[in-house]
Parts: sequence; structure tokens; C-alpha cells
Amino acid sequence: MAVLRGEQGAVQFDAAGSSNATIVGTRSWSLSTTKETLDVSKHGDTFRSFVGSMISGSGTVELVYDPDATGQAGFLEDVLTTADPADATFELFTTGTSSGTDSVSFAGIITDMEITSTVGEINIVSCNFITSGTITGNLE
Amino acid sequence: MAAADLNSVRATIEGRLATELADSPAIPVVFHNMAYEPTPNSSWVQCLLSFGTSTYLTHGGTSDSRNELVGIAVVNIFSAKGVGPGANYVIGKRVRDLYNRINVSGVHFDPPIGPEVVASPSPEGYFQTQVRVTFDFIEEL
Repeated sequence: MAVLRGEQGAVQFDAAGSSNATIVGTRSWSLSTTKETLDVSKHGDTFRSFVGSMISGSGTVELVYDPDATGQAGFLEDVLTTADPADATFELFTTGTSSGTDSVSFAGIITDMEITSTVGEINIVSCNFITSGTITGNLE
Repeated sequence: MAAADLNSVRATIEGRLATELADSPAIPVVFHNMAYEPTPNSSWVQCLLSFGTSTYLTHGGTSDSRNELVGIAVVNIFSAKGVGPGANYVIGKRVRDLYNRINVSGVHFDPPIGPEVVASPSPEGYFQTQVRVTFDFIEEL
């Protein structure tokens, strides 16, 4: 495996969680995964001990806004889903778009969407999400 | 989608200028790699178009991806020497208005720079100003 470049990445998404498809026009993604810890130090210990606990993730997907680009509208508007059951599925690729390869996949909720229009610049959309349930890593 | 047709982009930009300057009062216009012998004390225009850098705009490989191509059109405007700048600026306005913030056939033009007076006209014997217009084009692969 060679060093990867950002432009090799991709984002797939399906609001209904049935069949992920590539969103055309993404320009960046990030995912931060956090594991909580539990203190299991006992009386008499002189050093603290911990065990891993609940794992969660959050991140951002940035797009170059194009209302006609495949997959964009469904992605952006998922933030408007009321009583969101977290049924949307995401797969974030470091390279390629082969499901289960060089990617991280999970179900999640888009928690906020920001679209910006600035003079002299291309319109950009930024969507933040949190994961819900299992995060499956295929980054090896 | 397909790779950008740079000759089509060139034709869009140059064709726009050629059409405008063919209208009355008509002004001769020449482009890259064209021979031209200007008439002394006349007005004429030279348009030199160059493509610049291409940058990644989105994720993806050779499909479902986008690049941003930029370029510049340098328009040299020549007019008779020793009779003031008025006639030259009249042409400069026509050129500037032609591209100012226009989006045509997928080519987006920025606000033009100039007309700026060129201290040492080339060729000599004319009063010369220059209008520069940067543009960009989104390549959809």
C-alpha cells in the first residue's frame, strides 16, 4: 500500500441505510473516534488502571455545492429528518469505492449542515455527523 | 462527463471578443499565432489567452470528480499616438464590459484588471493599454 492522497477519498451514503452510493462533489471528510474509559483502580493500588468502555465517533463531510450532483441533495437534506432513527449509513473511503475496503462504515445522524456563499469563492457545504452503533474499520 | 475541451474554452473567450469588435465601429483583433501588420495611427486589439494551473476540487479519480482550471486573457489595445487616451479607453470599456463577471458556456470571468497604460508600447508607435481578465472553468470528469 502506498501513501494515499486526499483526492483519492470518497464518501458513500444512503439516507435509508439500504444501499450506499457515492456522493459526487465531496472534497474532504474527517472522522474522530473516541473510546471512553472506566477507572478500575482498587484499594491498595498505587497506579490507576482503566478499561475501555463505550466507543463513539463524530466527523465532518465537506462538499463543493452543486444541486445537480448525484447524491448531494439527499445527503444535505438528511439533517431535516425529524425523529431521526439513525438509519442513515455512511462509508468513508481513503481510496477507491469498494465497500469494505480502505474505509470506515457506520450508521449515523447528520447533526448540522452549513452552506456558505462567499464572494469570489465556490459555494461549500459542511455537514457534521455523529455515529450510532457499531463503527466498522477497514483501514488495514 | 469528459475532460475539459480547452480549445472550446479558447473559442468561447476569443469568439466573444471577435464578435464584439466586429460590430460598428469595427476594430481589427488578432490572437496568438496570427500574423498582422497594423496600419499606422489606427486602432487595433491583440488578445493573448493562456491557461494556467489546474487544481483538485473534489474527491475522485478519473470519473465523478472535478478540477478547477484557471487562465488569463491579456488584451492589448493599441490606438493612435499623440491624440490622448480617449479612443483607446472607449475600446477598453467595450472589452471590459464583455467579460466583467460574466458566466458563459461554463467559463466564469472575474472582474477585469485595467485598462492599464503600458509605458513602453510594443510595437512602438502607438498608445497602448492592457486589460487582463482571469477566468476559471470547472472540469467535470
